[in-house]
Amino acid sequence: MNIETFKYDNRIVRAFGIATVVWGIVGMLVGLIAAVELFLPGASLNLQYITFGRIRPLHTNAVIFAFVGNGMFMGIYYSLQRLCKARMFSDFLSWFNFWGWQLIIVAAAITLPMGFTTSKEYAELEWPIKIAITIVWVAFAVNFFGTLVKRREKHMYVAIWFYISTVIAIAVLHITNSMTMPAGLFKSYSMYAGVQDALVQWWYGHNAVAFFLTTPYLGLMYYFLPKAAGRPVFSYRLSIIHFWALVFLYIWAGPHHLLYTALPDWAQSLGMVFSLMLIAPSWGGMLNGLLTLRGAWDKVRQDPVLKFMVAAVTAYGMATLEGPLMSIKSVNGLTHYTDWTIAHAHGGALGWNGFLTFSMLYYLFPRLYNTKLWSTKLANYHFWIGTLGIVFYLIPIYVAGLTEGLMWKQFNKDGFLQYPNFLESIVQVVPMFRLRAVGGTLYFVGALLMAYNLYKTAKAGKFEPDTEAQAPALEKAEATHGKFAFHRMLEGKPLFFTVLAAVALLIGGAVELIPLFLIKENVPTIASVHPYTPLEVLGRDIYIREGCLGCHSQMVRPFRSETERYGEYSKAGEYVYDHPFLWGSERKGPDLAREGGKYPDAWHFNHMDNPGNVSPGSIMPRYPWLLTQKLDIQSIEDRLNALRRVGVPYTADRIAGARAEIDEQAAKVVANLKQGSVNCEPDKEIVALIAYLQRLGTDIKNAPVATTAK
Amino acid sequence: MEEKIICSMNGVGLYGVISISLFFIFFTGMLIWALLQKKSYLNKMSALPLDSGECADKANETSQR
Repeated sequence: MNIETFKYDNRIVRAFGIATVVWGIVGMLVGLIAAVELFLPGASLNLQYITFGRIRPLHTNAVIFAFVGNGMFMGIYYSLQRLCKARMFSDFLSWFNFWGWQLIIVAAAITLPMGFTTSKEYAELEWPIKIAITIVWVAFAVNFFGTLVKRREKHMYVAIWFYISTVIAIAVLHITNSMTMPAGLFKSYSMYAGVQDALVQWWYGHNAVAFFLTTPYLGLMYYFLPKAAGRPVFSYRLSIIHFWALVFLYIWAGPHHLLYTALPDWAQSLGMVFSLMLIAPSWGGMLNGLLTLRGAWDKVRQDPVLKFMVAAVTAYGMATLEGPLMSIKSVNGLTHYTDWTIAHAHGGALGWNGFLTFSMLYYLFPRLYNTKLWSTKLANYHFWIGTLGIVFYLIPIYVAGLTEGLMWKQFNKDGFLQYPNFLESIVQVVPMFRLRAVGGTLYFVGALLMAYNLYKTAKAGKFEPDTEAQAPALEKAEATHGKFAFHRMLEGKPLFFTVLAAVALLIGGAVELIPLFLIKENVPTIASVHPYTPLEVLGRDIYIREGCLGCHSQMVRPFRSETERYGEYSKAGEYVYDHPFLWGSERKGPDLAREGGKYPDAWHFNHMDNPGNVSPGSIMPRYPWLLTQKLDIQSIEDRLNALRRVGVPYTADRIAGARAEIDEQAAKVVANLKQGSVNCEPDKEIVALIAYLQRLGTDIKNAPVATTAK
Repeated sequence: MEEKIICSMNGVGLYGVISISLFFIFFTGMLIWALLQKKSYLNKMSALPLDSGECADKANETSQR
């Protein structure tokens, strides 16, 4: 046997590890600021760059792609080398991956507060950054598959299968959802409109959770949990079933984010059924992880690494039971748009991703620095303060979510809404928002303790840039016998395995998305629905820039409690010109789908200036800059042309006369404002925003007869 | 209007049937095949992460924890 000696690259693992800690702290801090702004709207100090609407996407992107993303790369770069018994394929690509990813994060941290956003959740970054993500991801993929090709271990352990599914799925999801038409360097419009855009977005959004936050972390669990426990996984057979069932089922479940919306019913039902089926593989995986510790629970008492892992795997189990339950239409009718969704997301993020990341960091740093953890006691404190933080975060937010859901639906004995003013439900839950910030602070402090502990560990030890290892060279063309050796052969051939995993992944996407494009012909179009005027387009873009959809949905669901409160329920045909769709996913304020005409223009002006003056107790921040900033009229032609290219029927003549049309409509808004004793110049941003808000949902009011067209 | 809805409903039935059949075939096949895997192979696979080939492995594992 030809024994080869080689070196594992520890430098890249350390780099991603440090980035994980740094960005984790940044991401959590931004989350904490956002949490405080929810009960203290003045906390943004009237600075547009740090209002809730702009930093919410910054928080989600920082935590998902910067904290968990770097944690994922750290774990993969460490475990892949050891599972393949080979150094990474290319050191250059490893570092390209590292620095590319950090630059993307910095670009996100700059552009999102500036308001450059596509508004599509977890895909907010504008098109130049999206292209950069694609390039870096391809570099990672080449490095990843290159390592598989030069591996010395014939068999691919189940963790690698999970990594493979991540590499492929994220590429497909990112590209499909990023199809966008640029209208300038930092502005673009989604290729898809309305219902199609919503389905593509939530097919992406759901599967980003699946293949960025779940599958890579499951792979890491299957590697690090046996390593830390010093024993093999409970059932390898179960892990095979876990993998294939999970990748096959996950991709179908996206439409559960759109239950009771204008999405066709068949897609909603499909999403619900597949979500429920997901309980089986998810719990199979969770039990497999926990049972790996059978007979080793005494270790859990002493070892903080295992403590974090057990809590993480348990949180995974809880979140993957809760998710399917929330996908049941009747449950979703209550929970959707409420803070329950936020609680669900944080159960997964703080418990599963956060704790598993912490456990990996505590496992890796002593090994990378060839020493022991500086303080096990401090790590134990971190565990308990983190766990308390999760409890203090989740319980108030569940209470808040349930309170909101019930108050929105409550009728009095005469059949009227018990709480007709939306604000009543928010005022009720503000104390819960305060408590949530306490929980978040505890969790954040825990992370700081960890950073200090890891720093001291690094100081105490000596970093080992490379770890020497030995393994026999891989013998080629080893004969595989037996009729059931198919899988052994399969996972001996990464390319074939990858293709099969990709097929399993894509079947669900194809069956859902192909009819989606047929739906385009089937959406009952409404004759009175017209494209937005140029001024309204500018107003809509301000609405997107300010992240209004972080708190306001634009989707009246077909419940009596909603039609009573907001008006006629939303129809698919109303959104055919919405590039992108702005249905939103939570309500910290009322739905705006039928906002047009509800209040005079002057009300909107005063409301944007200081919401508290118009609605006492409102938690909406002030937007005084909209009253002073000049409207960006110069770019209107670019914007309209981009929209025309994605299918909005603006004629060349209309685009040519756009500026005159803007002047005309702005003059009307200004005249309306004057009637309400408000003086405003026509070239201010507020004028465009008011024009847009007053348009919302009015098309079908103008001509209520719906017709079908081809 | 109704005609359109009924047309799309027909499509729905088809997609439902396709989805469930695909899932059933895939899942059953995968289950049978997983259950037929040999014990020796499964043991070998599950032991993979425990052997990283590191020269200092043995010393590390005993002294650090």
